[in-house]
Amino acid sequence: MDLLLHLAVVVAIYSIFALSLNVEIGYTGLFNFGHVAFFAIGAYTSALLTLSGAPFAVGLLAGLAAAGVCGYLLSIPALKLQGDYFGIATLGFGEILRMVVSNEVWLTKGPMGLPGIPRPEILGFIFDTLPAYLALSACMALTTFAILAFVVLSPFGRALKAVRDDETAAEILGKNALRFKIKSFVIGSTFAGLAGVLWAHYTTFISPGDFTLTETILVLLIVVMGGKGTLPGPVLGAVALIFFQESVRFLRLPPEWTRLLGPLQQMVFGLLLVVLMVFRPEGIIRERGGRHGD
Amino acid sequence: MDSISYYLQTALNGILAGCIYALFAMGLTLIYGVLNFVNFAHGELIMWGAYFLFLFMGEPFGLPLYAAIPPALALTGCLGVAMDFSVFRPLRWANRLTLLIAAMGLSVFLRNAAQFFWGAEVRTYGLEVSAGTRFFGLYLTMPQMAIILVTLLCVGAVYLLFFRSRLGKSMRALSDNLDLARISGIDTKRAILAAWVISAVLAAIGGILLALDTNLSPEMGIINLIKAFAATLIGGVGNLWGALLGGLLIGLAENLGVLFISPGYKDGIAFVIMVIILLARPYVIVGERSD
Amino acid sequence: MKNLSALVAVIAAFSFAAAPSAQAADTIKIGAAFALSGSIAVYGEGFKKCIDLAVEEINAKGGIKGKKIEIVYEDNKSNPKDCVTAVRKLITVDRVPVIFGPAGSSNFMATAPVAQENKVVLLSAQGAAVGLTRAGDYIFRVFPSDTLQGPHLARLAMSMGYKKVPVMYVNNDWGLGLKDAFVEAYKKMGGTVTDIIAYDEKKTDYRTELLRASRGNPPAIVNLTYINEGAVQFKQAFEMGIKTQWLCGSAARAPKMVELAGKAAEGVIGTYPSVPQNTKAYQAFKEAYKKKYGDDKIPIFGDYNYDMVYVTAKAIEKGGYTADGIRKALPQAAKGYKGVTGDKTFDAERSPKFAEYGIWTVKDGKIEDYRK
Repeated sequence: MDLLLHLAVVVAIYSIFALSLNVEIGYTGLFNFGHVAFFAIGAYTSALLTLSGAPFAVGLLAGLAAAGVCGYLLSIPALKLQGDYFGIATLGFGEILRMVVSNEVWLTKGPMGLPGIPRPEILGFIFDTLPAYLALSACMALTTFAILAFVVLSPFGRALKAVRDDETAAEILGKNALRFKIKSFVIGSTFAGLAGVLWAHYTTFISPGDFTLTETILVLLIVVMGGKGTLPGPVLGAVALIFFQESVRFLRLPPEWTRLLGPLQQMVFGLLLVVLMVFRPEGIIRERGGRHGD
Repeated sequence: MDSISYYLQTALNGILAGCIYALFAMGLTLIYGVLNFVNFAHGELIMWGAYFLFLFMGEPFGLPLYAAIPPALALTGCLGVAMDFSVFRPLRWANRLTLLIAAMGLSVFLRNAAQFFWGAEVRTYGLEVSAGTRFFGLYLTMPQMAIILVTLLCVGAVYLLFFRSRLGKSMRALSDNLDLARISGIDTKRAILAAWVISAVLAAIGGILLALDTNLSPEMGIINLIKAFAATLIGGVGNLWGALLGGLLIGLAENLGVLFISPGYKDGIAFVIMVIILLARPYVIVGERSD
Repeated sequence: MKNLSALVAVIAAFSFAAAPSAQAADTIKIGAAFALSGSIAVYGEGFKKCIDLAVEEINAKGGIKGKKIEIVYEDNKSNPKDCVTAVRKLITVDRVPVIFGPAGSSNFMATAPVAQENKVVLLSAQGAAVGLTRAGDYIFRVFPSDTLQGPHLARLAMSMGYKKVPVMYVNNDWGLGLKDAFVEAYKKMGGTVTDIIAYDEKKTDYRTELLRASRGNPPAIVNLTYINEGAVQFKQAFEMGIKTQWLCGSAARAPKMVELAGKAAEGVIGTYPSVPQNTKAYQAFKEAYKKKYGDDKIPIFGDYNYDMVYVTAKAIEKGGYTADGIRKALPQAAKGYKGVTGDKTFDAERSPKFAEYGIWTVKDGKIEDYRK
């Protein structure tokens, strides 16, 4: 069924997005509240390049590179701030990036958005059907999962956790905490860019409305619900959250309720989050050996 | 409009916006200081405060404005306490991310509850619009004068409470170190309760003033909350004067900024200023350390 | 693992709920991806009222060839991502061949490629953006494009003797599109734009933007604003003693704006795609609306939504209940059809060919047609 395929594509893309945030928030303890900015950078870079005639591969690589470079440039001043301060600085970056996209009309067409983004074409094969696109995005999601698994299971990943859990101790052990944080942030940003590229070529139309704070919050919830600091957590979180949100569409309710249904659905969603945090704050999957309640 | 009063009027606009941010930031910084987390649902206290007033002014109560304000403030205070009892008390020792997500969930719940009861449409208290009175070439309306006066009054009252009363002393002790305060025999429960009530009442006052000046909508709290966060952080966590100054600074900067840069970037100004100030302040900076 | 199995159980439960319900073959289903929650739900509710009215009327007269129309509403949460999902759900689960698309040009344009690829007809009753229907031949609109409104607004400013104006606009697809159309036409007519001020939606404080626009006391300011934003702006300008002639577009023309802004909205002038209200069709519509809902405050764009249902119903009757049939029959069905909002004939871009523009103003707390 096409709707399921569509939701599967969304889940695949959001899994990549969530996996990338998990590197920062779950493994390194960086509260990035502007993650959507890198999603947007990837999406716009690739969309603008391919719309001006570049092949998909170029758009993809440029999107990843642009997101990674912006991540690096942001991390240098922002990582001098700690905890919530870092969070609100990244949140500010996300908002400012959205403003750039809405105001620099000469480049991005502003709120009009970019229509007609071409479907990906790799070696002459065009991914223009739902199953093909699902295959592509699932492949990308698996690749992301594999790379990030390799990263976080390596000594580098253990160092990240050490930095997260006790920065001072990690420093004494001779690990330069700031450098690890920057690396983690660049990795996270790059993969968020990948999610953005896939999103742009999937919907074929992007506008600033795609890249609001709401998206950051959604992906944050996916990570926390699924289980931060675990590998399968973000993927499970993406499946659970997106299917939960869509499942409400299928409750057959009397039409005069529709006005109340929207807010009611959101109320249930909010309440579920609260309940989840109170009774199972570590998410669906619990991090092994992780520290809680510090 | 001649040039000087043009800039003065802009500065006044900045002060008005800044007072609103400051009222929001004071409530935020209080909870942040005492319980050490960002109450993302503070925006909903702001909005519910304004809607409670709307409730008491409309049917079946039909109270006039001045009579409807006390019950509205009281009810918002209760809402703040209820938030703590139902959500934040069970999470008192949880980590920050858990608290943040729980607060976000609460925010979504409360915002949509308001939309459920009152609908998404923008509402007004239905007071007559009036042109401002002219002082030295500046225009100022009654609600605007109220914004400035009430902000000053709130700062004064909270100052007295915080620094001149036993309750305030215990709240400050909590703010410094929750564990230590508990051990040293301070009634932490009472102090936390008081912090919630004050924070919620401040939110309601801010919300009502904002709604008197503009309109009511379910999103009125959340859209100003991020600026209040920035003001809180500029001022330093738990610092009431800092919240006031941070709010005023952001309000002034973004209004004066609109005159010189593309107005589409107005909302970015607050963040840029915040990051610059934070980076210039040594004690929040980590990295290379001399010790 | 216990929790994992619980999760699987929950997902499984929802998948059962997701199984398509028994299709009622004796109704004609039309999809509608509207904003029923979120900040612009208030518009969605208004559209829905007028659509329900039209459906009720058609069904009371026997429906389409004896079959009753049923509208399947789907919440689009007024963001592009959920709009796409809503439209996909309507296409694949409800299998409707024709959908009334989301409001907001960028939301609509996000869904247009989906409809085109799946060969499902998509209609807009309020999208004014230039190029809205370019995604393909399945995309239609019954609302005139702003390429037409911009020059009308420019002509209005010129005819009132305003040769230099600052322009303020709400920074979204509608505001930007109309601003561009206006500025282009205005400059061609010899006008000068002194300042351009973009502002975000849903703010509470526009004072300094207004002050900047009013610098040098311009006799008129063009402000392409919405209902809530306009109300706040006119109020704040009034409070600051800014005296100027406001020139607006169509989106602020709503009783709600006047209700919120009070006397600060007095004298505001604007253009809008005019619907001659003295026609028989319009009077009948207004009467029917009043009878069903108890008031005669027709929601903004409600009349266009009403016409959209009738045009679609005619097309289904002519071309049959298939997407291709409807697509082919729509231009014939609309040709010369005189709806509530006038002649609905489509042009080559599947937009209304004819659009008359009127001038509205606020007088004594009511929206009226402007007379010099």
